[in-house]
Amino acid sequence: MVEGGRETNRTGSVMTVTVKSFATFREVMEMQIVLPFPEGATVRTLLADLTSRFDRLDEQLFAAPGTLRDFVNILKNGRNIDFLAGLETSLEDGDVIALFPPLAGG
Amino acid sequence: MDGYAGNMVFVDLSAGTVAIQPTPLDLKREYLGGRGFGIRLLTDLVDPQTEPLSEKNAVIFASGPLTGTGIPLGSRYEVSTISPLTGTASSANSGGVFGWKMKKAGFDAVVVTGRSAKPVYLLLDNGKAELRDAAHLWGKTTGQTTDAIVEELGDKTVRVSCIGPSGEKLVRFACIINEKTRAAGRGGMGAVLGFKNLKAIAARGDRPIEVADEARLDVVKERVRAKIQENGIEQALHNYGTAVLVNIINENYVLPTRNFQTARFPNAENVSGETIAKTILKRPKGCYACIVQCGRVHEFDGEAGEGPEYEPDWAFGPDCGIDDLKAVVRANNICNEYGLDAISAPATIACLMEMVEKGYVDHPIRFGDAAGMLALVKQIATREGIGDELAEGSYRFAEKYGHPELSMSSKKQELPAYDPRGIQGYGLATATSVRGGDHVYGYMISPEVLGAPEKLDPYVTEGKAQWVKTFQDLTAAIDASGMCLFTSFALDAQDYADLIATTTGMPIDTTELLRIGERIWNLQKLFNIKRGFGRSDDTLPARLLNEPLQEGAPKGQVWRRDEMLDEYYALRGWDTDGIPTREKVEELGLA
Repeated sequence: MVEGGRETNRTGSVMTVTVKSFATFREVMEMQIVLPFPEGATVRTLLADLTSRFDRLDEQLFAAPGTLRDFVNILKNGRNIDFLAGLETSLEDGDVIALFPPLAGG
Repeated sequence: MDGYAGNMVFVDLSAGTVAIQPTPLDLKREYLGGRGFGIRLLTDLVDPQTEPLSEKNAVIFASGPLTGTGIPLGSRYEVSTISPLTGTASSANSGGVFGWKMKKAGFDAVVVTGRSAKPVYLLLDNGKAELRDAAHLWGKTTGQTTDAIVEELGDKTVRVSCIGPSGEKLVRFACIINEKTRAAGRGGMGAVLGFKNLKAIAARGDRPIEVADEARLDVVKERVRAKIQENGIEQALHNYGTAVLVNIINENYVLPTRNFQTARFPNAENVSGETIAKTILKRPKGCYACIVQCGRVHEFDGEAGEGPEYEPDWAFGPDCGIDDLKAVVRANNICNEYGLDAISAPATIACLMEMVEKGYVDHPIRFGDAAGMLALVKQIATREGIGDELAEGSYRFAEKYGHPELSMSSKKQELPAYDPRGIQGYGLATATSVRGGDHVYGYMISPEVLGAPEKLDPYVTEGKAQWVKTFQDLTAAIDASGMCLFTSFALDAQDYADLIATTTGMPIDTTELLRIGERIWNLQKLFNIKRGFGRSDDTLPARLLNEPLQEGAPKGQVWRRDEMLDEYYALRGWDTDGIPTREKVEELGLA
């Protein structure tokens, strides 16, 4: 993972993305974290980074490698990635990614 | 031997008499119970032109065949009447223990007509029923009423469903509360009981509840138990309660804020399910036979109670521009004690706040004023000061001051905690709901936001009409069965059909299950049409159709009624005015 994002960002080659977690995901990762990513990174890249940082996140996110668990919802700036390009949804500088485990209410 | 108690009790309050009759087989077969019994009996007994607050209106309490059978989450009962808020054939559903107790006392349904000359309560006592004096209970809160009846009967096994002072004062959105904190919340059922001078129903008994095929039911029970326990959504309900929705709805930019002026509340985290769990939660709590336990028991600063559920949490919070969790919880507790619908009360306050902000009403309240909000809840609960006007509901209040468009309601019932501009199918479901503004007569949030049973794009209108129809019909059948609607995150139509068939011995498959739901839906619709409702009522406030959302992913969107309504009517077998065709009426046996 690229380090020193703020410095290289001036060159346009690195962007920063804010990740927010909710409900049970907060038991295995930080509530909010800002991470640098190289251009061309996707949600898949971001999740790989997160699971390498937070040990127990992988099993909560994925049912099998590359397959999200049922009812896990990931939003990019308020839009579910399922209606963008799924895990291949590209990241852009300043994006907010929200991660939700299965939940409901009413 | 079919999950039913076998009898219904007809209470004529004007005459002061009770009459017990067997529960008819055809009623069970065609309407199951719960909401089905309620709507069938209501529409049989009451002339469609009846004023809701008149002695000619009827109120029906009914459980379903699965209530109290030990099936996980089989705890519900339903109250049906003509709503004094909406004027529709309406129902409200509650859990807790009372539905089971009603059946243990020997009754599938309580049918109340007439009006008592003085306050009374009804005691259901192991196969018998009697009206008792309630003069000493009048004016008491729901908690005081419950304790007084338990003490008077000297029996801690008795369970009480009652009204508080708000029902007595005929607040149009007064509710009915059982076990002090569980509410048949919407539609003003409490006001109808208040008008009738019926303070409470108390139930006790130990009659056996027997099923048709215990061995087969046990197999189905274990299957549904495993599905519920393994379902991630049900686990989240246990951990965080229903208020876990605050953040996900907010992050989707569809959390109505300041009376639906925006759809994102910057301080949502402060009133979220996660914050509740971290700060005031003492323990989770469940209804009878519940293995999910989404209820919240809270304790802080000497205040103890239950909740808040997502809807009141949102309504007293973001919809009023308030992020003070303790104030939200106190307001919710006042609603439980006085017997007020904790959606309509705060949504009406939010409407006042906008009216004041726009200069249409002169009052010191402002968005974000938690102390002012708390004072208003009490004023509404007892009809004091401006509370007397607000007790008529947001629509009548806003209309009185010349701006009905600022009432965020449908058919005069306040809308729940989702902005339809960013959730198109949900908008169709609530606009066409036969009880007015609503989220539990077909919970489209599940597929459109939460992704269950599958993910539907919330911004798309195509295909939503079919989903809405199916959800509305299935929900009507679940409400009739006595099961909690929250089982639907884990179970499918086959599970419900198997539970009902093995419990009752009736040949119910998935087709028949949905047909029963469709029959209930159409019966409510037909009654509403006779009361003057039509296509123009199947809509939402103009703001939601005309003023685009301003922030986030759904920016620029409005709710697109015209893209869905004709298709919905056609799928229902209704004409373009929304009136069921002769063929549909005959097909459902409603001719």
